[in-house]
Amino acid sequence: MNTPLDTEAGIPVRDSVTPLSDGGTRTGAGLPAPTWHRARVLVSTPYGRGYHFLRLEAPSIARTCQAGQFVMLTAARDGDDGPVLPRPMAVYGRDPRAGTIDILLGVVGDGTRRLASFGPDERMLVVGPLGQGFRLAPRTRRVLLVGRGIGTCSLTTVAQECAGTDVEIVAVASGRSADRVVGADVYRAAGVTRLHEVTDDTGASDVARLRDLLTADLDQAPPQQIMTCGSERLARLCEELGRRWSADVQVSLEAHMACGLGYCHGCATGTRSGPEESPLICADGPVFRLSRQDAER
Amino acid sequence: MTEVQDHSPAALDDRDRHFADHAAYGTDLGVSLGALRLANPVMPASGCFGPELAGLLPVHELGAVVTKTLFSQRRSGNPSHRLTESAQGMLNSVGIPSPGSAEFIRTVLPRYRSFGVPVVVSVGGLAVEEYLRITEELADVRCEALEVNVSCPNLEHGGLAIGTDAATVERVVSGVVARTSLPVIVKLTPNVTSIGDIARAAEQAGATAVTVANTFPGMAIDLEGRSAVLGNGVGGLSGPAVRPMVLRLVWQAAAAVRIPVVGCGGVSTARDVLEFVLAGATAVQMGTATFTRPYAMTQVLRDLDALCHELGIARLADVRGTVRI
Ligand SMILES: Cc1cc2nc3c(=O)[nH]c(=O)nc-3n(C[C@H](O)[C@H](O)[C@H](O)COP(=O)(O)OP(=O)(O)OC[C@H]3O[C@@H](n4cnc5c(N)ncnc54)[C@H](O)[C@@H]3O)c2cc1C
Ligand SMILES: Cc1cc2nc3c(=O)[nH]c(=O)nc-3n(C[C@H](O)[C@H](O)[C@H](O)COP(=O)(O)O)c2cc1C
Ligand code: FES
Repeated sequence: MNTPLDTEAGIPVRDSVTPLSDGGTRTGAGLPAPTWHRARVLVSTPYGRGYHFLRLEAPSIARTCQAGQFVMLTAARDGDDGPVLPRPMAVYGRDPRAGTIDILLGVVGDGTRRLASFGPDERMLVVGPLGQGFRLAPRTRRVLLVGRGIGTCSLTTVAQECAGTDVEIVAVASGRSADRVVGADVYRAAGVTRLHEVTDDTGASDVARLRDLLTADLDQAPPQQIMTCGSERLARLCEELGRRWSADVQVSLEAHMACGLGYCHGCATGTRSGPEESPLICADGPVFRLSRQDAER
Repeated sequence: MTEVQDHSPAALDDRDRHFADHAAYGTDLGVSLGALRLANPVMPASGCFGPELAGLLPVHELGAVVTKTLFSQRRSGNPSHRLTESAQGMLNSVGIPSPGSAEFIRTVLPRYRSFGVPVVVSVGGLAVEEYLRITEELADVRCEALEVNVSCPNLEHGGLAIGTDAATVERVVSGVVARTSLPVIVKLTPNVTSIGDIARAAEQAGATAVTVANTFPGMAIDLEGRSAVLGNGVGGLSGPAVRPMVLRLVWQAAAAVRIPVVGCGGVSTARDVLEFVLAGATAVQMGTATFTRPYAMTQVLRDLDALCHELGIARLADVRGTVRI
């Protein structure tokens, strides 16, 4: 987020996505019902440079959350004058048996600073699980995960869910510098097949170099699905690789949110008004199919 | 993706406890908006509630539910970004996307009806005739009241002008009242010189009640990008930041008319509700507070019961408008 790599002139990715649930069933069958917890904070600790790790006791969410779904965290403590809007956060990891979910915060502003200030045994309001997560097709045997910075947090649970199955994961974790690469520990614990950590300071995160790296790695045995989050330019690279390998490309998007449930209409993707309302990131997404509509026309 | 099977018994969680909890002191919170009896004064603000909240708070405990403003025709709303935050508040430029009346009646309204509490359908238009048309389209529809939104500050045309001109408000409201047998609540804009004049125009045109008020026009600028944060440039401010201004407007409107005033703006606690009632409000709507905590409205109901008990108020209606100046 907020890195030079993430912005590019041209059609924004958010204007070229389509909902995964064609037909638009927002309260779709198969999606767990959202609930809330006044979750006990079990762990709250700084992580890398500019990040903060939270482990929350949220048993129902830990049990039902699907990969790529998110939660809303209320940064205002009860009775205090905190921000009125909760913050959408990916579930970075979960342990259904322990009843815990993990959140990795990029501390970027007032809301995330306040969330990071919650200490162990404080209670934090968490609403979820929310949105449409990543869809793994039954025939998929290999998945490429491409995350940039904190955006990698939306992808880690895909690796967790595939651990111990016959689905092979190749992951890219990109960041400005080594201490800003996120997710490597979760990926390793999940036993991913290959992990490429690439950073700006070595130049390895450059799109052209990454393209070379990935085509060399995967042209012989390409993935059936590509999942990405955290960077416009990497999303465009994934789109290109998707065409090259005839792979399905899914992208997780961000927006400022108020309700996270689909009723406030605050998170529509469209940067331009059309005759129809554009998809809502919280309810139709945050994971969308990336299809460049201008290229198809 | 596949759900991990977990066979441990699901513990009773916080949400379950909130659903099981109830008001304990038996304060009489009942209120009336004309012929419409409400079990209590708390309802959602238009656009800040939806059937999607069903599992997150016991909606059947609310005094009423209010729909998002409905337009006759399908509308897509404003470009993103539609939301941003400000000190103790938020700005929205959602711009009222609408499914249109036919789709609303077919798929949306039944979900509101299922809560078993009175349903208030908020209606809007970009011209006087549009208000009359949507009222006619709702003529055979089962709901308990209409809320006429003459106040939305961020529509492309007309919205602002309709709510700021007493004569236009009177034309809209009398036209709506002539076309429906339902109680008509008129939701006013705060962006006027005299809220009393506009409230009186609504009363004279036959309104059952007025809601005070909609959002305050506002703006946010992204300094680094040197651009407006909201796709629409400007938006409406809501949340605790507006509460003192709305409290004054409620007090002024209540002094100007005999019909009930519904207070709306920044309510997030039981104390806020009681302040609005003292200022003259019969009922309140809560919007932004539900974003902060989805169960805010039902929490306020329980707290209000306890607060009234603590303050020796047996019947909420007894203290309405009793603020000493
Ligand atoms: C589905 C989803 C999952 C997310 N997962 C994570 C996660 O796992 N970890 C994480 O750290 N962050 C995540 N985010 C982003 C996170 O919600 C924002 O960084 C956070 O709301 C910023 O709040 P703040 O008050 O600290 O910053 P602010 O002071 O509000 O803003 C700081 C900067 O971030 C920008 N910003 C604020 N909110 C957003 C937003 N929602 N989207 C894009 N830009 C924003 C602002 O314009 C500003 O430039 C996710 C967002 C979404 C929609
Ligand atoms: C996201 C959002 C959408 C809204 N949509 C509508 C609407 O469709 N019709 C309407 O009359 N008011 C709408 N409002 C205004 C609210 O109903 C309410 O008047 C305002 O938010 C002040 O109350 P609050 O401070 O409790 O939020 C909207 C407000 C928000 C924040
Ligand atoms: S955040 Fe409310 S509709 Fe998406």
